[in-house]
Amino acid sequence: MPHVDEGTLHAYLDGELPSAERKTVDAHLAECTSCRAMLAEERALLERASALLGAARPVDRAAPPFEQLGVSRSRKRSPWRVRMPVAWAASIALALGVGYYLHEPNAASLTPRESSGIAYLMEQRAADANRDLPAPADEERKTSSRAPSLAARSKPAAVPTTPQLYDSVTVVASQTNKREAVLEAAPVVGVVAIPPAAAPRLRNAEPAPAASAVAKDSAVRVDGVIVASGASGAGGRKERAHLPTTTSWPIITRGAARSLLGTEPVGLPGLARQIRRSPTADGTVVVEQRIDSATTIQIFQRQSGMDSSGQARYYYRQQEREIAPADRLARYVGRLRVEIAGPLSTDSLNKLLDQVQPLP
Amino acid sequence: MPDDIAEVYRNTYPALVRFLYRKVWDADRAEDLAQEAFARALVHRPDNTRGWLFVVAANMARDEARKAAREKRHLTLLKSEPDATHTAPEEEIDAETQAQRVRAALDQLTPRDREALLLWDAGLSYDEIAAQTGLARGAIGTTLARARRRLVEAYDAGLAGGGGQHAARG
Repeated sequence: MPHVDEGTLHAYLDGELPSAERKTVDAHLAECTSCRAMLAEERALLERASALLGAARPVDRAAPPFEQLGVSRSRKRSPWRVRMPVAWAASIALALGVGYYLHEPNAASLTPRESSGIAYLMEQRAADANRDLPAPADEERKTSSRAPSLAARSKPAAVPTTPQLYDSVTVVASQTNKREAVLEAAPVVGVVAIPPAAAPRLRNAEPAPAASAVAKDSAVRVDGVIVASGASGAGGRKERAHLPTTTSWPIITRGAARSLLGTEPVGLPGLARQIRRSPTADGTVVVEQRIDSATTIQIFQRQSGMDSSGQARYYYRQQEREIAPADRLARYVGRLRVEIAGPLSTDSLNKLLDQVQPLP
Repeated sequence: MPDDIAEVYRNTYPALVRFLYRKVWDADRAEDLAQEAFARALVHRPDNTRGWLFVVAANMARDEARKAAREKRHLTLLKSEPDATHTAPEEEIDAETQAQRVRAALDQLTPRDREALLLWDAGLSYDEIAAQTGLARGAIGTTLARARRRLVEAYDAGLAGGGGQHAARG
């Protein structure tokens, strides 16, 4: 027989040659050294190609139970509900402390290059944040000693200079043992939450003097604070256990975020950032940006119309009904629905949200 | 008579995710699409579930790619910015870089070669690949041989930095 062509060799190696043809090839290979050499070459090529493909495979994860097919998609937890456990008192102290910085008179018209509060903060802390980002454990240690001093230092100062901020926080603080009441009565709209990285260390930290009594009482520890406007406080109340923090979310590149979102991820310009994606398959990306060593802002984002299929759209709307009265701190930036969270006052978060733009 | 979909699910789900991943390049999205394909199979009850799943999955991935291309086009009209540095752990960068290179190499295959290769790697037989791609069964070996060679060559050329020598192989 003539020499064996490479297509036949590949079919031979793949075990896909019909048995009659296979016998013919075997017979030829037995007496043709050049075809045997070619076979070895093709086998190496095949293995190499297979290894390359193996490098481009997703991490193996267990398939969800078959019974959940078609159901699970509508029952996934919304990423917008992800709020981490919070030491409530510490969050107040932080909100006061950082809010003080952010509530400078000209803070309303911030741009990163102006010498406003946030810009000042960004420049002061950028190096700090950059250094801290890759080393959460180290950061944790440092902050636990830093946090109380920040709180202690800034609280008295915050009172006279930021009456508006102080008022809203006071309302919340005075009712810390009645969380439900807080949610309904708070006169502000917004989200105040401690970022996941901050939460555990804040619990361990020595609380600020003014807040220590509250912090010791486990009853006032809340899982997340969603301060919504009066009529619609129902949103975040039921989120208790099983709240994943974004620290377990895989870190991804900006390119990966872009492909996930279908557009550029958004964030605050001029700040170091870390991008993660939701571990569930819901297309949510969070951009975490450190404003200072104790303050991380989380900018959750995802496509506002997830999918071309009606199912996903429905899924999304359903989530919206479940958790998000329209008055959360969220807005659309281009095609993305963006939500912001961080241990800052509503005012500050709102202003930060104003500045969110596609990341360079 | 329809297959037992639960059985197919157990056997095929990881391969389907892998297949989709190499098309959409996003693990979450790939899982999402794979589950969607199975959910659709539950409704449609096709005779050949496995083959049907890969056809549906390929179509879904194609829709995704079109959508992404449209958005990308739109976006480049608005602005074009260079990628900035990011702070992923080192080993993650390595794995990701590797995957990126393979992806770039796969992109250089013709759609038909690529499809055959991905389907084979997902565990489909020559018969199934022929049915799905419309190729003659006798042409699958040749197609796969070419696809594998081009993948390896494109990958090596990418490693050489584009400007370097092409790893020409006999």
